[in-house]
Amino acid sequence: MSTSKSVSSNSLSAATSGLLISRVVSALFGLSNALKHDQLLSTPLSSYTHLKEGIFLFKNGIDPYSGGTFRHSPLLLALFSVVLPESQKYASLLWTAFDFAGAWALVSIWRARQNVRKTSRDTVVAASYLLNPYVFLPTLALSSSSLQSSITLLTLKYAAEGQASPSLFFLSVLMHIDLSTLTLLLPILLLLISDPQSHLASPRPLTSNLRRTLPLFGEFVLYTAVLSVASTVIVGGIQWIPQTWGATLTLPDLTPNTGVWWYFFTEMFDHFRPFFLMVFSVHLLIYVVPMCIKFQYDPLYATFLLLGVLGTFKAYPTLSDPGLFFSALSIFPEVHPYLRHPIVTALIHLHAALLMPLFNHLWLNTGTGNANFFYASTLVFACGNGAGLIDAVWAGLRIAIGKDTEGYVVVQE
Amino acid sequence: MRLALGWFLLSTLFVSGYALSSETFSESLKITPLPDGRVSTTFSFNTVLEGASPRDPCSLTSQDASQHYILFPLTLGQILREYAVTELHLSLNAGSWNYERWGYPEEKGVGTGAELWAWMGVDESKSVDDRWKGLRNALAGLFCASLGSLDEQRTTSPDRVFFPQGRLPKWSGNVAHQLRHASLPSEHVCTENLTPFLKLLPCKSLSGIASLLNPHRVFDADWHGMGVHVLWLGEAGVQVRLTFQSVMDPLRSSRNFLRNWSLQSLFGHSIERNCPAASSSAIHVTFSSTENPTLTPQPQTRSSTEVRYDVLNVEKPLDIAMQWRDEFKYPSIFKSSLPISVTRNLRGFTQASGKLSLILKNHRSTPQQLIYLETMPWFIQFYLHTLHARIEGHIRDDIISDISYNAAVAHSRPTTFQAVLRLPPNSVTHLTMDLDKAFLRYTEHPPDAQRGWDLPPAVLIPLNFDPNDNNSSHILNESRLGEPIYTSTLLVDVATPDFSMPYNVIIFTCSLVAFIFGSVFNLLTRKFVVLHLDPNRQNN
Repeated sequence: MSTSKSVSSNSLSAATSGLLISRVVSALFGLSNALKHDQLLSTPLSSYTHLKEGIFLFKNGIDPYSGGTFRHSPLLLALFSVVLPESQKYASLLWTAFDFAGAWALVSIWRARQNVRKTSRDTVVAASYLLNPYVFLPTLALSSSSLQSSITLLTLKYAAEGQASPSLFFLSVLMHIDLSTLTLLLPILLLLISDPQSHLASPRPLTSNLRRTLPLFGEFVLYTAVLSVASTVIVGGIQWIPQTWGATLTLPDLTPNTGVWWYFFTEMFDHFRPFFLMVFSVHLLIYVVPMCIKFQYDPLYATFLLLGVLGTFKAYPTLSDPGLFFSALSIFPEVHPYLRHPIVTALIHLHAALLMPLFNHLWLNTGTGNANFFYASTLVFACGNGAGLIDAVWAGLRIAIGKDTEGYVVVQE
Repeated sequence: MRLALGWFLLSTLFVSGYALSSETFSESLKITPLPDGRVSTTFSFNTVLEGASPRDPCSLTSQDASQHYILFPLTLGQILREYAVTELHLSLNAGSWNYERWGYPEEKGVGTGAELWAWMGVDESKSVDDRWKGLRNALAGLFCASLGSLDEQRTTSPDRVFFPQGRLPKWSGNVAHQLRHASLPSEHVCTENLTPFLKLLPCKSLSGIASLLNPHRVFDADWHGMGVHVLWLGEAGVQVRLTFQSVMDPLRSSRNFLRNWSLQSLFGHSIERNCPAASSSAIHVTFSSTENPTLTPQPQTRSSTEVRYDVLNVEKPLDIAMQWRDEFKYPSIFKSSLPISVTRNLRGFTQASGKLSLILKNHRSTPQQLIYLETMPWFIQFYLHTLHARIEGHIRDDIISDISYNAAVAHSRPTTFQAVLRLPPNSVTHLTMDLDKAFLRYTEHPPDAQRGWDLPPAVLIPLNFDPNDNNSSHILNESRLGEPIYTSTLLVDVATPDFSMPYNVIIFTCSLVAFIFGSVFNLLTRKFVVLHLDPNRQNN
C-alpha cells in the first residue's frame, strides 16, 4: 500500500515537474506574443502592451497618465521602468517567478492552516496553482493580473502566519494595483487577530477583541498613504488616481473581458450609466460584512469566498481571478465532500472556457459572429463562477452539521 | 431739408460705427490644364475691410460697436465679432486631391471632408473653448454643414503645423493666441453648402465670375471643394477670401479625345455681365510652355505660360475657350512636382487592433525634413513604443525626432501626434505604428455603424532645407514651412455591439447578479436544520 502510494506520488511529482518545465519553456519561447493581445487573459488594466507603452512614455518625458490607455498603478510603472528591465524574455521569466512565488505562498497558507511544517499534500496544493490553466495562461500573456494574484496570496500567507506588517503592506500594494481588492481588508484584519486553522466544522463566536483590528487598520491606512504619496511623487501629480482607481469605478474602457461589466455598460442607456456604475461597485462591497459575520470563526474561508466574488463580479477581471479562487479551493480539503455539484460547475467551466476564446475570435477576427455570442459565453462563465461560489458557501456551512446519515437530510429553513 | 438731415444722421451713424473703413472686393478665376487631361479651376473672391482689426477678446464683456458693411459679408462678420476670432479657415472638400498628378493645389487646404481651424485670443471672461464651440455651431448654421459635430472629441491644437497665415494683433495686456483645429472627414459637400456660400458674395451668383458657379456642373466635378479664409493683414485690414476649387474632366464628354474646354462646357454658363461691386475681376489661364493651344477670345496680357483676361473690360458675353490641335496622349508616367509622396494605410484584420502604415518617398537627391501630423479620434489609440521607421528593411528610428504627443482621453479628447522626419535622399521610408481600436458605447456609434468611421487625413509639411544648417537645431518657424500635403482619409472598422439588445443585456446581466446574490444571501441567512425522513410516512 505504502509503496503504491509512494509510486503514485513519485509519478505525480514527475508529471508535475514535466509540466512545469514545459511551462517555463513555453513562457520563454514565442507564446507570449500570440497571447498578449488576448482579451480573456489581460484587460486594459493589466495588459503588458499597455504597460510597455506607459513605460515608453514615462521614459520619454510624456506623462503616461495625461490620457490614453495606460491604467497601471504608478508603483508598477516605477518598478518596471526603474528597477526591472523590460525585455520580453526576461519578463517571461519574471512572470513565471511571480507564479512560483504565488504557489509558494499558497503552500505556506496551507501549512499554516494545518499548523504543520510539511505535509504530503504540499505538491498537490502547489500544482493546483501552477498547473491551473486559468492561472498560467495569463502568465504566458504577461498580464499583470498574475502579479496581482501572487500578491494576494502573499498577503494571505503573511496574514495566516500572523505577520501583520508585511501582510498589510502587501494588501495596500494590492489595493494600489486594483481598487476592488479593498473588499479583502476586513477578513484579513479578522484573520490577523484570530488564527488560520480550520474551524468550519465547529463554529463559535469570534473570541478575540475586535478593537485589536483598529491599530492594524491604522497601519494599513498608513501604508496606503505612504504608497499614494510615493505614487504622486513618481508621477508628479495626482492624475494617476482617475486613470487607475477611477477606471475601476467609471469603466471608461469597454474592451471585452470575461466579466459581466463590459457589455452591460456598452449597452447601457446613457442616463442610467452613473446609477448602474454605483450599483455594480456597491454590489462588490455588499458581500463583505455578511461573509465576515457568518464565517467569523474562520476568516481565511471568508477571504476565500470574497476572492470568488471578485473573480465573478469585479470590473476588469481576467481568467486569473476565478483561477485564483479555484486554486485556493485546494487548501480547504475538508469542505470537498460537502460540495453539492462540483461536476456541474466543472462542466459549465469547460463549456465556457471552450466557447469564450472561440466566440471572441468569431466576433472580432473573422466577423462571422456578433457581440452577443461572446456575451452569452461570458454569462455562462459567470454562471460557472457563481455556481462555484454558491457551492463553496454551502459546503463551508454544511460541514458544521456533520456527515450524512441515512434517513436524514440537511435543509435550510 | 429733411432729407438732407436724414442723410447727415445716417452718415454720422456710419462714421461713429465700425464701418468707417472702406471696403474693396475683387474676384479672380484661375484655370489650369493638368497633366492627366483634367482642368483645375480656382475661384477666389476677396473682400478687404480696410483699416479694420479683429475684436479684442478682452472687450467681449462690453457691447461691441455696431457693424455696417457694404461689401463685407455681414453674417460672417457678426460671427467673427461675436466670438472674437482673429483668423479662421474653413474648407469643405469632396474627394481626395491627387498630388502625384495634379501637383500642389492653389488653395492648400484640400483634406477630404470638413476642416476648420481658427486662431483666437485668450481671455478669462470667455474661454477659447467656449468661443470655439459657439463659432463652429454658428458656422454650421451659416453653411448648412455638420460643423457642430466638430466637438471636443475632434478638436486638437497642432500649432506646429497650422501657423497663422495673416498677422496676429498685439493687444494691450499681452493677449496670447491659441489654435483650435478640427476635421470631419465624413462630411460631404453639396449644393446646400454652396448656396449660403454664394450669399456671402456681393453679387451673389448673378453676375461677374461668380455667375459661373453653377451647382449642376461644379458638383459633377472629379474633385471639388470650397473654402472660407479670414485673415488680418495688419494695417491693410481684415481680409475674407472665399474660394472654390474644382478639378473637371473635359475628356469625359469629349468624343475625339481632345481636351478642349470652354467656360460654357465647364460651367454651362458664360459671363454675361460684370459684377458692379468688383474693383477687379480677372481670369488667368495657365498652360505649360511646350504645348501651344489656341485661346479665344484673344487675351489682353500674355506671357509664355499664363494669359490674363480683365473681365471688367472685355466684350460680353465672355466665353473663354481653349482648343488643342492634337489628341491627348495619356502620359505613362507622371513626373511629380512634389518633393515627397506619401501613401497611408491601416493594416490588420481584427476589429480590436491594427497597424498604421505610411510609405514616404523622397524624390529629391537632397535629404528632406518634414513635419508629420496625425490627429485621430479617441477610439484609435496609438502605441508609441511600436513606432518604427524602416528604410530598405533596416530599422532607422533615428530619422524620427521632436515627437510631441497628446494621448487621447476615452470618450472625450482626440490624439495629436507631431514629429519631425528626416528622409534620406531618394529613399523609400516605411513608418509603422500599432494601434488599438477601442470599443464604443452603443450610443456612440453612428447610424450606419457597420460602415465604419472615417479617420482624418494626416498632414505632412516639408521643411525648406537649408544646406548651411547642418546641426540638428530644429527651430521650427513659419518661414521654413513648405506647403502642406494632406494624405487620403482612412476607413476604420470598429467592433459593434448588437444595437437591438440594450434591454435584453440589462435583464440578463441583472438576473444573473440577482440570482447569485440571492443564493449567497439565502445560504448565509437561513438556518440549517436536519430533517428526519420517515420512509413509512412517505409511503402512506
